[in-house]
Amino acid sequence: MLIVLLLIGGGVAAGLFGSLLGLGGGILIVPLLTLGFGLPLITAIGVSLVCVIVTSGAAAGVYLERRVANLRLGMTLELFTAIGAMTGGLIAFLVPERFLALLFAGLLIYVALTMARRRDPALDTGLAPEDPEVEDDDDQSTVERLSGPGYRVRRLGFGVIGSLGAGVVSALLGIGGGLIKVPVMHVVMGVPLRVATATSNLMIGITASAGAIIYLLRGGIDPYVAAPTAIGVFLGATLGSRTAQRIDIRVLRGLFVAILLYTAWQMLQRGLM
Amino acid sequence: MNGDAGPPPVASANVAVADPLERAIARVLTVGTYVSVAVLAVGTAMMLASGVQPLSGGPRFDLGQIGDDLVHLRATGFLWLGLVAVVATPASRVVASLVGYLRDGERLMATIAVLILAVIVLSVGLAIGLEG
Repeated sequence: MLIVLLLIGGGVAAGLFGSLLGLGGGILIVPLLTLGFGLPLITAIGVSLVCVIVTSGAAAGVYLERRVANLRLGMTLELFTAIGAMTGGLIAFLVPERFLALLFAGLLIYVALTMARRRDPALDTGLAPEDPEVEDDDDQSTVERLSGPGYRVRRLGFGVIGSLGAGVVSALLGIGGGLIKVPVMHVVMGVPLRVATATSNLMIGITASAGAIIYLLRGGIDPYVAAPTAIGVFLGATLGSRTAQRIDIRVLRGLFVAILLYTAWQMLQRGLM
Repeated sequence: MNGDAGPPPVASANVAVADPLERAIARVLTVGTYVSVAVLAVGTAMMLASGVQPLSGGPRFDLGQIGDDLVHLRATGFLWLGLVAVVATPASRVVASLVGYLRDGERLMATIAVLILAVIVLSVGLAIGLEG
């Protein structure tokens, strides 16, 4: 009974933190389950993928209703994130757990550093970066279809490559892959930040489920752990989305960076032992 | 995800209103997610009631066993059903998109939807093949 409640509580904390800081829960769930509950890394990654699908599902629905997410662009790119995730899911069962731990430690350090340097979102206009020098070889009718009001998609090829990479990383480490997709769409493809974030969220479902299917069928998902954790993450993310505007994120961010760096150190030890 | 799910915006000249396809897809995602979580909650409650130790290692996935577990009101049946629903919800959204794009005559997007579903089916096939 206590363990189930702890899993739900841990899920709530991961979902809440992730939601408040604009991250998926995956970056927190994997360390929580491995370092906190002593589960094998591969099981934690499988459970994390389930949680990532749950949190993205409800939010993506809201984004679509508000017409912030670009459905056509999202579907085009998620074809490639799904291919990447399928590949990553297959690789994950072949590589040693220590390699995954080291890779995850690297991811944690990257996120901690990115978060430490992040500007106040209020100062960010969210507009797509101007880049008039770009010569675009993409098919113009396709570009028109994938573009949205006030912006024009460019460098579709880079988007495809970035999506493949995001899919591989998602399935290897149990994360949504937004850390790659959002910068690629915003900085490289010229999609406004708000649209890129919403579209990435929409894509996370298919990306994570392509990987989760492999974990599910290969025995990488433990239902006794996945269910309570996913419920907790869902509750935490819902709570976070309702309280985000009332909380001073700067203090929270400092605490989070410290937690990430400590967790990275623990993961490094796990990988090097 | 980011924390951007507040109250729905009021429609105005500056706020885009979702088209019927996007509204339908949003509904599939929202309903699928809530139903999945509800089934998982039932399974978790039954797991608690039956005194299962979560960290003792759960059963492996067996699609054929789910029906029997559900009929006999075993926790594992509800847990697996909820997890399958979670994993299937995004694919259901793609199926809804495919139907919508076919109806609207958008062949490119319909083709992309078919290809996404093909990748999902391939994932299932590869995972089963490697296990077998």
